Amino acid sequence: MAPIDLDKYVRPGKDHFLALGLEGSANKLGVGVIKHPLGELTPENRALILSNVRDTYITPPGEGFLPRDTARHHRNWVVRIIKRALADAGVAGADLDCICFTQGPGMGAPLQSVVIAARTLAQLWELPLVGVNHCVGHIEMGREITGAENPIVLYVSGGNTQVIAYSNQRYRIFGETLDIAIGNCLDRFARTLKIPNEPAPGYNIEQMAKRGKHLVQLPYTVKGMDLSMSGILGYIDGVAKEMFGPQQKKLVDKETGEEITPEDLCFSLQETLFSMLVEITERAMAHVESNQVLIVGGVGSNERLQEMMALMVKDRKNGSVYSTDERFCIDNGIMIAHAGLLAYRSGQTNALEDTVCTQRFRTDEVFVEWRD
Amino acid sequence: MPIILLKTEHLLLRQMALDHIVTIQIPFETEKQASIARNSIAADPVLKKNEISVEFIAEGNVLQCKFAGVSDRVIRVAISNCIDNIKTVIETIEEFDGQKDTLFKKDS
Repeated sequence: MAPIDLDKYVRPGKDHFLALGLEGSANKLGVGVIKHPLGELTPENRALILSNVRDTYITPPGEGFLPRDTARHHRNWVVRIIKRALADAGVAGADLDCICFTQGPGMGAPLQSVVIAARTLAQLWELPLVGVNHCVGHIEMGREITGAENPIVLYVSGGNTQVIAYSNQRYRIFGETLDIAIGNCLDRFARTLKIPNEPAPGYNIEQMAKRGKHLVQLPYTVKGMDLSMSGILGYIDGVAKEMFGPQQKKLVDKETGEEITPEDLCFSLQETLFSMLVEITERAMAHVESNQVLIVGGVGSNERLQEMMALMVKDRKNGSVYSTDERFCIDNGIMIAHAGLLAYRSGQTNALEDTVCTQRFRTDEVFVEWRD
Repeated sequence: MPIILLKTEHLLLRQMALDHIVTIQIPFETEKQASIARNSIAADPVLKKNEISVEFIAEGNVLQCKFAGVSDRVIRVAISNCIDNIKTVIETIEEFDGQKDTLFKKDS
């Protein structure tokens, strides 16, 4: 196959492409500007992040974020955040090649509140729009930042839990959650314990888990290549309610006789869920004979998950784990700009009538034209 | 900020039952702005088509939004949603129209 020409659409006299990316599929509103030099992106010819601005809608402890309120947050901030991202990048509208936006999957109202701004700006500045699959955004950003060439991707966030492998111009889903996402499971347990949502519920659970010592036995629910987590959440929620509800039931560790603490519960939940993730990831690696794992998505910033994955990979020949820090693995605008620009360079643009966002948009629906 | 003019009419369209009708008129500074606003909000399909129909027309510099629904309630929800969207459109226009060559300053 002939190498893919990614420079067909370069503007005359330019030696690069510039894209603005807008993300708002959940409680983070992110805007970023990315620059691609001409030619294929390689470790020597990398994408350049010019700006990456994010504003997170934080709810009080014990409360999750609802679509309507989240959409209102995005509407309130979107213009200011776009301005800040352009200012940080030192880029004018006239320099841009396209405006990329998250088309799904995600929460309907927040997605829609952001695409309205994208459509208006695209018309004002006469720029093409490019709709981006949120999951593909995570994958492409992870690959670009870490340099992982063809990894098994573990995509773990508040709304998604998938094990993905690339084959024949699609990111194919090997295994996924059958009910709730891992981040959703952790966030909801944080609400049960009234752990603050600032900076992120999962982050606070991670910190508490570091102080946990006793493992509470929880259900372990791997089903082939898939996982189920709602039962685990129901179980541990029940334990927590017995301990901290009116019953004030004391739970003790069988071996030491020491009392079980909220920290122990966080620790046990993480250990159980992450073991399940590691198991299906390892199986996927065996299937496709890959020795690289790339962890993306908000939960990917959890250092314990990274550590457990590294332990598994160490036992495999030449294995390596790739992960990114919170700037790139937590939802952001730059990943949308990056994946959108790759699509734009392969010829994708969305006419206004094709910019409708959808809550369901599977990773494997996207034709990955920019890879061979 | 543009002034929003409300005009309510009741028509007897029994066969469709979309007999609650409200038209909102939003004047913009230019014809182009009104048409951009129309394009930005008209792209999204209306859910529950049997309960409400919405039509957006840009006439000169005025954006007309015509709502016809089965009850006051569905009209109210649709209008509220529409105004939320138009707020974003207007704010985007206000900040970025004619600013294609502007390098925005940090902390402005």
